[in-house]
Amino acid sequence: MRKHLTSAAGMLATVAASLCAVPVVAFAAEETAEESAQGIGLLLPKLGEWIPMLISFIILWVLLAKFGWPAFMGMIDKRAATIKDSLEKAEVAKLDSERLLAEQRAELDDARRLAAQIVADAKTAAEQVRSEIATQARDEAQAMIIKASKAIETEKKAAIAQLQGSVADLSVAVAGRVIGADLSESEHRAIIERYLIEAGNLNAN
Amino acid sequence: MIYAEVLLEAAQVEGTAFEVSGQLRALQKAVRSSIALRETLADRSLPASTRRALLEKVFAGFDPALLVVLGVMIERDDFALLNKLSETYELCAEQALGAVIIDVTTAISLDDGLRTVLRDRFSAQFGCDVLLREQIDPTIIGGIVLSSHGKRIDASVASQLERARVALTTSR
Repeated sequence: MRKHLTSAAGMLATVAASLCAVPVVAFAAEETAEESAQGIGLLLPKLGEWIPMLISFIILWVLLAKFGWPAFMGMIDKRAATIKDSLEKAEVAKLDSERLLAEQRAELDDARRLAAQIVADAKTAAEQVRSEIATQARDEAQAMIIKASKAIETEKKAAIAQLQGSVADLSVAVAGRVIGADLSESEHRAIIERYLIEAGNLNAN
Repeated sequence: MIYAEVLLEAAQVEGTAFEVSGQLRALQKAVRSSIALRETLADRSLPASTRRALLEKVFAGFDPALLVVLGVMIERDDFALLNKLSETYELCAEQALGAVIIDVTTAISLDDGLRTVLRDRFSAQFGCDVLLREQIDPTIIGGIVLSSHGKRIDASVASQLERARVALTTSR
């Protein structure tokens, strides 16, 4: 910016120099114009008017160069600095935004991965729970079947034992009655004698 | 035990030492099998005279010396020593009589031939005389049950049938 302003000032100086050169031509032309007050001489300023104008211009130019131009350049520099600062801030903001965007994208990706992992874990856990429940149910059913089989077997054995006991009791009772009723005294005595022979020793230790 | 010694002396005077041992055993069995009788005779809340009268009434016909000794035991609240009295008396009586007392249970009464067989057999085993304390119990159906000094030989038909019943019940 400053470069552009400097070149503009150079151009202005060139124009001013050109304008300074113009009176020389003008003087030459005025001489000829006085000689001939016709044609182009009608368009050219008269020398008496042109010099004050030049002086005023120079004074104005000096004043501007002395007081206006530094202030103007200060404003320009300040504005350039502000713009530069703004641009730097914008650049920093842009970088920050890009960084934040990258971070957010990374976080979003992490969140997506995490969500996917959670879903996968949940599926795995659900599958494991389902498998465990199925296994447990199968085991319980098997245990119930075994228990029922054992209960049936036990009941069966108990029933057989009860029947066996009843048959034995009945058989022995019948046998006892038959034997008791059928034995005569002589048979009783014969049994006693026979049992005495088979009996052990009452005095044995 | 003083009760056993006194009873034996009294029984020996009367010549009923062996019979008293049988009566004492029968009385012991009766008291053991009847809870009401056992608790009443041992009930200290009842007057001793009442319990003694009950004893004499229930066991009327038993040797008077036996009933007197038991009456004294009731009065002195020693009736719970009945089992001890029976055991001690039997040992003392055996010593006094010079013989071993054997309880013999049969379904029919023994005849002299069987008694001789029993005496000969167990005299040889014990090396002394044997006194048979006979008891008839039809529930043994047949055969014989012998016991002496805590040993028991059960050669009855009932026990053999019981063994058969157990074998039938436990066999598969």
